[in-house]
Amino acid sequence: MTELHFTDVQRDCLQELVNVAMGQASDKLARYLGTFVHLQVPSIALVEAALLSQHFSSRYQQQSATLVSLGFFGDQGLRGETIMLYQLANAGVIAQLLGYSDDAVSEAEMLTDISSVLTTTFLSGLAEQLENSFSYAAPRILSSRDQYFADKLAYTAEQWQLALQVDIRYQLTDYSFNCDMILLIPGEAVLRLRQTLDNILADF
Amino acid sequence: MQLDWLLQPLLTQLNTGVLVLDAQYRVVFFNQFIARRAELDLARVQGNLLEDVFADLPIAWLKRKLDSVLHLQVPAFSSWEQRQYIVKLAHLRPLSSDSQYMAQNCSMLPLTAPDGVSRYICLLIEDATDAYVYQQQLQQSVMQLEHANRTDGLTGVYNRCYWQQQLGYEIQRAGRYQHPLSLLLFDLDKFKDLNDQYGHQGGDFVLIELSRLIDSLLRDTDLFGRYGGEEFGIILPDTGMTGALQVANRICDTVARHKMLYNQQTLKATISIGVASYFDHSVDELIQRADTALYCAKRQGRNRAVAYQPELEGYLKKVK
Repeated sequence: MTELHFTDVQRDCLQELVNVAMGQASDKLARYLGTFVHLQVPSIALVEAALLSQHFSSRYQQQSATLVSLGFFGDQGLRGETIMLYQLANAGVIAQLLGYSDDAVSEAEMLTDISSVLTTTFLSGLAEQLENSFSYAAPRILSSRDQYFADKLAYTAEQWQLALQVDIRYQLTDYSFNCDMILLIPGEAVLRLRQTLDNILADF
Repeated sequence: MQLDWLLQPLLTQLNTGVLVLDAQYRVVFFNQFIARRAELDLARVQGNLLEDVFADLPIAWLKRKLDSVLHLQVPAFSSWEQRQYIVKLAHLRPLSSDSQYMAQNCSMLPLTAPDGVSRYICLLIEDATDAYVYQQQLQQSVMQLEHANRTDGLTGVYNRCYWQQQLGYEIQRAGRYQHPLSLLLFDLDKFKDLNDQYGHQGGDFVLIELSRLIDSLLRDTDLFGRYGGEEFGIILPDTGMTGALQVANRICDTVARHKMLYNQQTLKATISIGVASYFDHSVDELIQRADTALYCAKRQGRNRAVAYQPELEGYLKKVK
């Protein structure tokens, strides 16, 4: 079993990079959406992937939740999967956010669109901070209204060792909506990530 | 080693459509994959607007995606599952797909020219027709399975499990919206004699024939199921006792008058029907009441419909 522990210094460094990437993402999104976008400083946590579903099942227990997955690949073995968790009550807000009128766009398409916009905007900023660049796989809906999402999340998380959990709250002038983003990173990529963080720290 | 020569043959032979647009969504380039399937000549359409080059594009939808690629400099995606195709392209399986056009997965990627300023968008279009065809077949199989799962194999009416489940839903609906709801339970009279005289195949024949006959007397919204053996149930939504009793009498009369030809012999059968109307009952209570009425119809001489009344319970006790 790979030792996946982060030192406090490494963790702080990662938090700082996430903050910068998130700031850039909110700037880009605000310009794109033509409205003020406030992204709160995300809290990050490194958790064992196996514990993820327990963690989220209490938060999403009452509502029907949707999971959207998007894979990313970078250089030097840095790769992973992001999972966005939405409460479906938010779907209408998301549609307004993306400027969809009630045309023939399905809920599924709307969710994959917002997921790819939110995650890739953030991830491309993060890649830049890590002096890397990512390519992305098309987003997939893992579970929707009918399925019990915790099972699906547990199954997905099983394939990964470490999860970087990033809580994002998007606040727009006229609406607010919350969603959670989880970055799942396999063990060997965690080692690469730590190495990259050490390099960045050494440059200071 | 110089590898620049690779690019052209690769683009030509790549089994993925490559379409490049400038920031005004004018066509800059497409490879042979697209040229051949769309029957277009790049030299003739280069520099034209995307919507003028390809017919019937979902242009408002597409521009929303392309805008996000340009402004956010992040990729956008489209899956055949949500939008079967973007560009009308021929596919290579005209026989096995019910769609004239290729099902497509599309990635839209931001590109920046070496000058560092000029923005382009590259659309990568993959043929997902195989997946589409398999999905269609799967959906068809699922539909067949769902049908088989709720149907009684012999008579073609609903099976008991599905029928009783529907009764539960109808009771909930009737309770919520204060609509009337009635239930008929009926049983073939002296079915055992029929089986003894004509064999089980003769009995089966009568069950099939009468199911078909009775089904033709019902409305689309009525739910007709086989409760077990020679016993059947009919759920009549939005129907009170008076209407239900009319339906029951009509069924009774029609069955009694119906002649069936089996192995050169003319068969006749009669049925007895118990009728109960919903009044804040559970599924079991409603079935119990219809069953009581059915029992009384049998006791009173068969070939008749009897409406449930509380007094019947006393009648039942006396004969027992």
